[in-house]
Amino acid sequence: MNAISEQQSSHIIARLQERLGEDSVKTDADALTEYGKDWTTAYRPDPLAVVLPRNIEQVVNLVQLANKLNFPLVPSGGRTGLSGGAVASNREVVVAFDRMNRILEFDAVDRQVVCEPGVITEQLQQFAEQQGLFYPVDFASAGSSQIGGNVATNAGGIKVIRYGMTRQWVMGLKVVTGSGELLELNRGLVKNATGYDFRHLFIGSEGTLGLVVEVTLALTAVPRDPTVLLLAVNDMQSCMEVLKTFQGRLQLSAFEFFSEPALQHVVSHKGLQRPFETQSPFYALIEFENDSESRLDEAMELFEVCLEAGWVLDGTVSQSVGQAETLWRLREDISETISRFSPYKNDISVRVSKVPEFLSRVDELVSARYPDFEIIWFGHIGDGNVHLNILKPEDLDLKTFQEQCGKVSREVFQLVKNYAGSVSAEHGVGLLKKAFLEASRDPLEIAYMKAVKKVFDPNGILNPGKVFDIQ
Amino acid sequence: MKVLVAVKRVVDAYVKVRVKSDHSGVELANAKMAINPFCEIAVEEAIRLKEQGKAEEVIAVSIGTSASQEQIRTALALGADRGILVETDQEAQPLSVARILKAIVEKEGIDLVILGKQSIDTDNNQVGQMLGALTNMPQGTFACKAEPGDGTITVTREIDGGEQTVALKLPAIVTTDLRLNEPRYASLPNIMKAKKKPIDTVTPDALGVSMESRIRTLSVEPPPQRSAGIKVGSVDELIDKLKNEAKVI
Ligand SMILES: Cc1cc2nc3c(=O)[nH]c(=O)nc-3n(C[C@H](O)[C@H](O)[C@H](O)COP(=O)(O)OP(=O)(O)OC[C@H]3O[C@@H](n4cnc5c(N)ncnc54)[C@H](O)[C@@H]3O)c2cc1C
Repeated sequence: MNAISEQQSSHIIARLQERLGEDSVKTDADALTEYGKDWTTAYRPDPLAVVLPRNIEQVVNLVQLANKLNFPLVPSGGRTGLSGGAVASNREVVVAFDRMNRILEFDAVDRQVVCEPGVITEQLQQFAEQQGLFYPVDFASAGSSQIGGNVATNAGGIKVIRYGMTRQWVMGLKVVTGSGELLELNRGLVKNATGYDFRHLFIGSEGTLGLVVEVTLALTAVPRDPTVLLLAVNDMQSCMEVLKTFQGRLQLSAFEFFSEPALQHVVSHKGLQRPFETQSPFYALIEFENDSESRLDEAMELFEVCLEAGWVLDGTVSQSVGQAETLWRLREDISETISRFSPYKNDISVRVSKVPEFLSRVDELVSARYPDFEIIWFGHIGDGNVHLNILKPEDLDLKTFQEQCGKVSREVFQLVKNYAGSVSAEHGVGLLKKAFLEASRDPLEIAYMKAVKKVFDPNGILNPGKVFDIQ
Repeated sequence: MKVLVAVKRVVDAYVKVRVKSDHSGVELANAKMAINPFCEIAVEEAIRLKEQGKAEEVIAVSIGTSASQEQIRTALALGADRGILVETDQEAQPLSVARILKAIVEKEGIDLVILGKQSIDTDNNQVGQMLGALTNMPQGTFACKAEPGDGTITVTREIDGGEQTVALKLPAIVTTDLRLNEPRYASLPNIMKAKKKPIDTVTPDALGVSMESRIRTLSVEPPPQRSAGIKVGSVDELIDKLKNEAKVI
């Protein structure tokens, strides 16, 4: 799609105002900067306008107009994305769902809730709680991210080991395709064997196939007394032994890990207490449902096994809900704590069994290439997913830093490829990982992706330049 | 110095409790229970004294059903030396609790009693004071700092709008406020070791205390529901509403 001239710009803005009402179109500098970016820092926001539709009809109207006048749309949710998927830096029109933020329906028998895409993840979690139920997809940005954004990225988070990704909870979807048609997918059915399930194409498509305009989500039972163990672990190999040991006997709802430097940053920045005095290279955070008297004893026995085997050095267990929450903060506050160092983030995954070997290779590589950079490791290790964060030294400018990191990323991703892993486990491809897509997907598969894109978005209106380029 | 700390089993502070339909109390069936947070601070203070070599022994006592052993075990894991469970199915009201503590203080020859200023379930704030009256021990309530000296303890108290420092002669009673310390986590190796620490079980009867109830709860009501918030369109509208509707500015 070619760059849009000044004259075209004012024409587009005028038509948008006509069709959607003046108060739904923003063009002030603040709005443009705010809505033109997500959590990534590498791109300069430069949208043409921001549109805030109030209902599905307006969305359909908008996409049809975009097709007619040939201007690009960038869907935007809570803009907590970590791969630039919601970035608008090429005079695109941003479609923000902030005003479509109602929970529309709830059915206690189906245990399903229907919501508009702009509902904040945490708002849905609270709604579920009020119904005596639970929405299990959770992560540190749940207070800002939107359900539409979660669906578009197939968000994962800290409970995946037990509850799966967002995909698992989507029972129905309404999407407006790139050609401006409204599709209603699956309609809340548990079983439906009638051909292709397009729902799953739209989940995780990062706004490149359609705009998510309504989501039906399943809810589940509230877990009983989620109890947190925090263990000091000797090394990565031990971490996986601990995982195996605990998973063999307990149903875990989380298995996370982080490194000592990560812990130090959080403790000093957030004024939190160290869990215990023992220092070790890594820490594992394990959550399980303490749903019967013997559960805790079992966890203690497993801890003893790990202690005797020399995998863990020390540990603690939450004695109250408050303690469980503060222990979780040691893991959950890492992203936010290190964000002031403009970290270069990698969100990579391999099969769980390959994790220790893979990580030690990555660690070798990264420490050899960046002897002077501080490396922070954390992530959803129980899912084979680690976040590798490289902190920017204060005296280095952002551009040079990112270039240096970018170079080594190629080598990291070569390793990912060798281990048949993924260059983006849960943060999506967006702009940030576009150049590396081929490390995880073979050319034939990418060609099919492009063909699918053509079917739903023939004019390339939706989020152009994200995930892959179409010539 | 021999230190006694009391730990009460209460509903976890983070649990949202519901009032029972007959208004006789709150629904506790299956609710998560924990040590009363102020008692946790008392335990922490006692074990810090022990770590500093200022206390020789820390005894943790809990009054309640056998389930209260769980809270004693936690106190033992945190560093208390031994536990006493005063087992009773009856509601432990402040005066009975104070009398039980008095009996233990005398039996054990306690120099310092550290208690929470109140328990978060009944919010009475009475036991420390009653124990003072029953035993004639001096009391430093709402402590945010406690420094033992030679046969004394200096306590800084949280008072309205400031602090007050008092010196107490031992034996004495200190009740804890939030700022006194930040309780540590119980380490797993210590939880394992705590399993071997002794817990004595006695009855109120054996201590010569009757659990006779002196207070009857007539009714428990939930707080009034807050009405839903509203969205305003502009700063002017906000100021207008604050001035003329909420009347706060
Ligand atoms: C501190 C922190 C921690 C995080 N932890 C995790 C984690 O543990 N797991 C995880 O998976 N992610 C995590 N993330 C990433 C992020 O929160 C998720 O990707 C989230 O799902 C993004 O939602 P959003 O509403 O903010 O989407 P945005 O960032 O606004 O958009 C993300 C993508 O979705 C598209 N999109 C948004 N709304 C729609 C819609 N209605 N229709 C079509 N396309 C749409 C956008 O175009 C973009 O491509 C974290 C982020 C932060 C800042």
